Amino acid sequence: MPAGLQLWTRLRADPAGVIGLVIVVFFLLLALAGWFGLIGQDWAAAEGGRWEPAGPQFWFGTNVLGQDVFERAVYSVRTAFEIGLVVAVLSTMLGAVLGALAGWHSHSWVDGSVLWLKGVLDSIPFYLFVAAVAYALQGKPWAMHLAMVATFWTGTGRLVRAEVMKIKTREFVLAARAIGLPDTLIVLRHVLPNTAHILLVQASLAFVAAIKTEVILSFLGLGVQHGVSWGLMLAESTQEVLAGHFNNFLAASLMLFALLMGFNLLVDALQDAFDPKQAVAQ
Amino acid sequence: MSTPILSVRELSVTLGGGRASSTNVVDGVSFDLLAGEVLALVGESGCGKSKTAEALMGLVPASLGSVRARRLRLGEKELLDLPESALRRIRGRDVSMVFQEPLTALDPVFRAGVQLADVFRRHRGLGRQQARLAAIEMLSRVGFADPDLVLRSYPHELSGGMRQRVVIAMAMACRPQVLIADEPTSALDVTTQAQVLAQLTDLAGAAGTAILLITHDLGIVAQYCDRALVMRHGRIVEEAAVRQLFAGPAHPYTADLLAAARGGVA
Repeated sequence: MPAGLQLWTRLRADPAGVIGLVIVVFFLLLALAGWFGLIGQDWAAAEGGRWEPAGPQFWFGTNVLGQDVFERAVYSVRTAFEIGLVVAVLSTMLGAVLGALAGWHSHSWVDGSVLWLKGVLDSIPFYLFVAAVAYALQGKPWAMHLAMVATFWTGTGRLVRAEVMKIKTREFVLAARAIGLPDTLIVLRHVLPNTAHILLVQASLAFVAAIKTEVILSFLGLGVQHGVSWGLMLAESTQEVLAGHFNNFLAASLMLFALLMGFNLLVDALQDAFDPKQAVAQ
Repeated sequence: MSTPILSVRELSVTLGGGRASSTNVVDGVSFDLLAGEVLALVGESGCGKSKTAEALMGLVPASLGSVRARRLRLGEKELLDLPESALRRIRGRDVSMVFQEPLTALDPVFRAGVQLADVFRRHRGLGRQQARLAAIEMLSRVGFADPDLVLRSYPHELSGGMRQRVVIAMAMACRPQVLIADEPTSALDVTTQAQVLAQLTDLAGAAGTAILLITHDLGIVAQYCDRALVMRHGRIVEEAAVRQLFAGPAHPYTADLLAAARGGVA
């Protein structure tokens, strides 16, 4: 059976994983639709009256300016995916590379430098650091991305470093050298693939953390500058909830909850499905 | 007498990087490996057998210790003069190695076939499909009835003996001049041991490969080897043809080893 099909068979056997997959695919389609301009394009237009209740015209009602909350919530999916994917991919890659370098050359100056950098970054309170970066790069839309990538890699780096130090003493690495592979190729072909389980988990954690962080930062006014996100909607809702208007609050928090929940379920199932040793058990 | 294919003079391995605590685990070892022969390197645990093998392959990391020798000649090539890049081309093609632990000598995340095919692609420059066919042929030569299935298996799906045969297939893939086998069967049970060793020596005989067989099992030495080196505390204390070694050991340590091996029976 080809590996992809095998993975699918194993994933399908896990109901929680299937639910997660359905939710994530649904949100992915929303994000893509937002990307290609099919939905959510009128998020800025004020078409209705102030705080209209949910109904056939405005599914989730309207906000204080009369903007359609559904449009805004749906368009925010695109914002969330964008930042989640960018930060997850880049921070995991950076962590893998720096962690592998440090682990392969453990107890050398390379290792020392990476650990020092990690120590420095970890010792700065996260939101303070992001705020500093955001202020330093005022108006740059990727300031938030940069701040997250710069700090999120440290956890991955530490785990990969430890794993590489463990793997490099294994005989198959010695065997790879004995069949004449150069160091770079040994790391790329035999060491890093053996850390794939760590990378998968770390990337999914980074995806979830990035979306959450974006919401918090936007809520604080440090995140999304031009556009809309669940964080901005929640920031708006702080005023509204007290006045008894729950449109923004419910739409943003429920969608955030559903996406993060679905993603966690999917990754949990994927992790099991990816593990070749589980295949034997079944 | 045939010509030596591998000639080693005064090979020393020092672990501990020159500090006061550094020790010579291999201390001035000299021997010749003749073309096509099976040479045993016997001795107790910790006498420096494995470190000798790793030093020959250039696998002792510089951070761990230093390797010195007056001569390390493979055929006509002096390995001490070659740069690392040239050594990499030799490893796996002219000299290859079988390790002790078949459990960990294969990368757990790749199918056995991928790893075997890699050797063909790297050293013989074969394409993906050709390498696959070569891998299948090699697997059937190490005695697999269904090489296709083995090719598609992950290492953990194979038994210890099967894994070791895959490793042997990898080591013999390029018909090397020298094969260093470091306790290739210590982790296997006795029946599997006999099968694996028979396959190894058959393949090597067919390819004209000389084997340096590292072992502590004198039964294996008697059965499969032409000559033997006896090693103790990093030095070679006796070198003799196997028949002669068993008939009349020259060194008292060899006599002790033989007595210890016979002790179980007598």
